[in-house]
Amino acid sequence: MALRHHHFLPEGVVFRANAPGSPVRSIGGPMKRLFSSIRDGNGFDIVLVAFPLGFLFLMAGLPLLYNILMSFQEVDMFSLGTFLRPFVGFKNYQELFAQPETWPILGNTAIFVIGSIAGQFLIGFGLALFFWVNFPGASWLRGLFLVSWVMPGLVVGAIWNWILSGDFGVLNFMLKETGIISGNIFWRSDPNYSLYAVIIANVWLGTAFNMILLSVGLASIPGDLYEAAELDGANAWQRFWTITLPMMRSTIGAIVSLGLIFTLQQFDLFAAITSGGPNNSSNVTQYWAWDLSFRQYDFAKGATISVIMIVFVMFASVVYVRSTRHEVRG
Amino acid sequence: MGIRKYAVIGALALAGVSMLGLSAKAEDVKLTVWSLDRDIQPAPHLVADFNELNNGIQIEYRQIQFDDVVSEAMRAYSTGQAPDIIAIDNPEHALFSSRGAFLDLTDMISKSTVIKPENYFPGPLKSVEWDGKYYGVPKATNTIALYYNKDMFKAKGLDPNKPPQTWDELVEDARKLTDPAANVYGLAFSAKANEEGTFQFLPWAQMGGGSYQDINSEGAVKALTVWKTIMDEKLASPDTLTRGQWDSTGTFNSGNAAMAISGPWELDRMSQEAKFDWGVTLLPVPQEGAERSSAMGDFNWAIFASTKHPEEAFKALEYFASQDDKMFKNYGQLPARSDIAIPATGQALKDAGLQVFLEQLKYAKPRGPHPEWPKISKAIQDAIQAALTGQSSPKDALDQAAEKIKAVLG
Repeated sequence: MALRHHHFLPEGVVFRANAPGSPVRSIGGPMKRLFSSIRDGNGFDIVLVAFPLGFLFLMAGLPLLYNILMSFQEVDMFSLGTFLRPFVGFKNYQELFAQPETWPILGNTAIFVIGSIAGQFLIGFGLALFFWVNFPGASWLRGLFLVSWVMPGLVVGAIWNWILSGDFGVLNFMLKETGIISGNIFWRSDPNYSLYAVIIANVWLGTAFNMILLSVGLASIPGDLYEAAELDGANAWQRFWTITLPMMRSTIGAIVSLGLIFTLQQFDLFAAITSGGPNNSSNVTQYWAWDLSFRQYDFAKGATISVIMIVFVMFASVVYVRSTRHEVRG
Repeated sequence: MGIRKYAVIGALALAGVSMLGLSAKAEDVKLTVWSLDRDIQPAPHLVADFNELNNGIQIEYRQIQFDDVVSEAMRAYSTGQAPDIIAIDNPEHALFSSRGAFLDLTDMISKSTVIKPENYFPGPLKSVEWDGKYYGVPKATNTIALYYNKDMFKAKGLDPNKPPQTWDELVEDARKLTDPAANVYGLAFSAKANEEGTFQFLPWAQMGGGSYQDINSEGAVKALTVWKTIMDEKLASPDTLTRGQWDSTGTFNSGNAAMAISGPWELDRMSQEAKFDWGVTLLPVPQEGAERSSAMGDFNWAIFASTKHPEEAFKALEYFASQDDKMFKNYGQLPARSDIAIPATGQALKDAGLQVFLEQLKYAKPRGPHPEWPKISKAIQDAIQAALTGQSSPKDALDQAAEKIKAVLG
């Protein structure tokens, strides 16, 4: 533990609390050593770390372990209140992978995650670069884009539900008027389109967040780098490839892994637009887990899917931590 | 009407609350009732009225959300915090009674002068039964029938007094009524992948001689084939696959569908929104003279086996049942009773529609009862969706559903 409290706390803030004459001082022996350790030493570091760790363990660790435990048990509604349920080994996993819909749903999840992140990132990056030019009103307009990020997912879902509606949807109307399509596309109800309908809505929802983070990343690139490059005769494209992208590496890594986590969390849009249908064509693991647990009351299977998802999120977390690590050091 | 009604309701609720606060004596028996009814629905009013009787029993009311009813009840029961009385959706009733979570009311009902099994429609009554015993009392009921737009029938040269009676006539009429240029579909219904899809399809399977235990029978396959014809020929919007009953019927009200399959809960909204002459008829049957059937919805009252005051709780249910005759007038819900004549509301279309629904209720069958109904229902939903999206034939889809259901039934 390299950090010591006096590195980042103003000298005296901690000491004054135990000023000479305070009762702490009169306690002798081991107690005194303990208190002095908490006051200025390893004890203080441990206390600082213990609180967040304890909080994390209680609020995230225990539920996680409980979830993993449930995936190896036979659970029904009446045994929900107990910990000790019949242990079934890998039965839940075997049954899950024996179901015909499992692989298509895992495939849908992959398409959803990749499609959403690619769309959000590319459009977000485009917008960030656009506003980076800093024309009059740029920051004001950029703020407006955040509106989509502020809206609750269910509201966004309900609105996209109307937009994507087959018979009277705005999107179909616009596509028809511009001559791109001749007949209505049933975005929500055609198995060929339903997953993409949710991806479109999710891209819209997440683009603003990507743009803001990328704008921050762009703003932190020192301007003199570009000046120097320009003097050396680098054109705009070369400057982008050799300065902007490399300097944004950690930001991009963070955004993509955060995007993976947010996309795997996305539930509201599925509930509002397609409910995973038709025929599971737009079903993804997170919605399926909910459906199994709370619609069919098969809590063990729901937990099993969650465990599989945890593996993916772990992977994203590692990428996230690695890509932001040297930011902390710098 | 509007303001005065709310004022009266408000006063009643206030009176109920203050009675509870002021007159709850130490020796009063306290009961808790959970239901999903909001302030414009029966339960909170029944509770307030009951508390006003001051008969030594005071009820505390708690509203729970539709999606939470089962999970809340389960959690409460498994941790010993269950309420005395709960309103539960009828297909979930067996889940609780089969595990002994609900109190067996058979003896109390046999002695009761208020709650008599013979006064209830057979469908709702069957949903509270498990193993030949009564584990609850039907709270209200509903079913589905066919709404049709009489003006559109006339415009397409069909007799507005002869709505379709058989499946063939339904498809034939839907073909004539469908008018893509005018944005009109022949029929609106729901094949959504949730309980609503099962609710709408099961009556068709039952009319064809099938049942949930026998979902791949010839008649059920024919029923799904008719549905597929309707979808393939675009006689109904492709969004039928992802749209619930309320939204589907909305397109009927706005004149974008000529017929709609839905329940009596639409009567009020349709009376206000539909700017045309409409009627209701019984669900079409496979062929003339075939057995009728329909879906059965709505909630049941039940007493938890963990209650400390079974006698008092049953008394409360008796009081609730005694108020069934006011249910349609005050809250627009249908009592599950065949012995109550519902007085006319004065709105001709609504009253005529009500009569059809009361007739249809005689053929309503519960879903299940089976403790694992949600899994059975899911198998049926999957089959409907697989067939209608063309991913498997109706026969294959229902064969697969039958296999899944067999695994559940054991």
